[in-house]
Amino acid sequence: MIRISDLVISYRTGRGTINAVDGLSIGIPDGCIVGVAGESGCGKSTLMKAVYGDIVSPMSLTGGSIDYGFSDRNGKPVTSATVTRQWFRTLSYIPQSSMNSLNPVIRIREQFIDFPGIDSNKKRVLEQAREYIQKLGLPVEAIDSYPHQLSGGMRQRMMIALATFFQPQLIIADEPTTALDVVVQKEILLLLMELQEQMGNSILIVSHDMGVHYQVTKRMLIMYAAKAVEYGDTDSVFNKPLHPYTRMLIGSLPTIGDDRARHGIPGSPPSLWGDLHGCRFADRCPLATERCRNEEPPLVEHKPEHFAACHFAGQELTKMEGGKWQ
Amino acid sequence: MTSEKVSASEMVAGSHKNDVGWTKSILWLFNLRLSIGLIILLVMGLGSFILPNFAPADPSVQGTYTRYLPPSAEHFFGTNALGQDIFWFVVESVRNSLTLGVVVAFGVVIISTTVGLGAGYIGGRFERITMLFVDTFITIPLLPVLIILGALIRGNTSFLVVGVIIILFGWAWNARTVRSMALTLREREFINMARFSGSNTAEIILREVFPYVAAYTLVGFINTILFAINTEAALAVIGLSKIEVPTLGSIIFWALNYNALFTGHYGWLVAPIVATIALFLGLFLTSTGFNAAFAERRGVQ
Repeated sequence: MIRISDLVISYRTGRGTINAVDGLSIGIPDGCIVGVAGESGCGKSTLMKAVYGDIVSPMSLTGGSIDYGFSDRNGKPVTSATVTRQWFRTLSYIPQSSMNSLNPVIRIREQFIDFPGIDSNKKRVLEQAREYIQKLGLPVEAIDSYPHQLSGGMRQRMMIALATFFQPQLIIADEPTTALDVVVQKEILLLLMELQEQMGNSILIVSHDMGVHYQVTKRMLIMYAAKAVEYGDTDSVFNKPLHPYTRMLIGSLPTIGDDRARHGIPGSPPSLWGDLHGCRFADRCPLATERCRNEEPPLVEHKPEHFAACHFAGQELTKMEGGKWQ
Repeated sequence: MTSEKVSASEMVAGSHKNDVGWTKSILWLFNLRLSIGLIILLVMGLGSFILPNFAPADPSVQGTYTRYLPPSAEHFFGTNALGQDIFWFVVESVRNSLTLGVVVAFGVVIISTTVGLGAGYIGGRFERITMLFVDTFITIPLLPVLIILGALIRGNTSFLVVGVIIILFGWAWNARTVRSMALTLREREFINMARFSGSNTAEIILREVFPYVAAYTLVGFINTILFAINTEAALAVIGLSKIEVPTLGSIIFWALNYNALFTGHYGWLVAPIVATIALFLGLFLTSTGFNAAFAERRGVQ
């Protein structure tokens, strides 16, 4: 279980500091695929960086903590300060664009055996790597080639092979399929799910594609303006969303057989620079009242394992059904 | 998926063919320019290192032969005003100049690559301070400083000190070039990935960034040999190097000192000048040949 409690991540800029993740608390159970969704600038990538432990200036961990729930070689619990030593061991990262994530002037096998502090018997490591990439559906010769000789799907597969070679307990995938076409996208996602089933690890997956979240994830975290607005089982989030933002987000997805015009969510997220009080979604929310504008709603467990940060979570949903936005 | 696999394995197999046989894979390197350049360098290099073993006498010792002997079978270019055999003197100077050039080039390439890669990749305050030094060394006018230094240490200097001085004033420009190459790499995704997979700064610089500048380093190495020989010759001609050691510059110094041009002993002047031009031509062709070969491989014609 990974516990993120009251996490505040800020960026230092010339104008002052800004909180890109502002008081976020969730628990990620072991062996669970968690999807993170939300519009650009809501803090998804910052959250991913923070969990991965890549906290470098101008970014800083201002408040809260991440309890990873696993310990290092010496048996000490891993914290944000020591997590960098676990990179690609117990904690892995699959980048957005695998096109550029492999060094184009080095053969892939070199990148496999270049892991620092790896088994000194390079030949044995290479043997294992060859076996492993075949398991992931890659031709064995692919490991001897340069990245440009592989297709986009193969490169992403190779990246996944590199990231999962040491059987990490947590994998962070930041939009792993964004640059791929739908067919390859599905293969990659199936591969990730398969690997997750075999290794029983947790995956944190960021995507803009709600379809990906629906197919792959067990749990969903919806973020809005640096806050978590909804967190719960994917089925529950999709079928009975509690927060109006989630509701509108899902309502904007097309479905087959339904040819009514789709509406986006009017307006845009608030600037994080301003004086933020009350619910941050209030300006765009059809349900907003005075209370929403003044009092910030906490993230509360409304149903078992289903959290939402809204004063009117769930209760007023019927009113929205015929609302002005649908 | 199967179709992707097939096409992919074909592609991989296709690329695999290039690896068969080491000779085939290295062949792309040799274009006409590079071949001619390397042949010139090989002849001059081997010649100047092997021939002195067969020299009848130490060419730098004065008064071995009668002064001003005309060219003959015994003395190919005749002898000079100091009673030295000009041919053997030139052979020894090519050796000394080449040695100096290679030693200086090693020093310059090591320093400039380290500094340039470090500054370019690490960035931030470290880069600003480092580049302050680099830019300072670039803006210092070389020749006046060398003349002052030469005047100060005249006569007391060793050949090695001359090399160190040239390294001191020669590394900065290369460092700036290497830094600019490292800068373009710093924000690339694969550098991030290398960092995310747990590599530290030194490992990233060595394994991820260096391969990009390796080709330039080779060209820079050859250019630096040129620069070093050139600078030493310039110093020697005005008498500020170690003039007792035969180098391409010191012959010209002695020839000018004894007015070879006016007394009609052209061999004394022409021999070192021709040797210098040949050496420069060889180095220049090798350098541009390498450049062309690397560019062609990248697809730039």
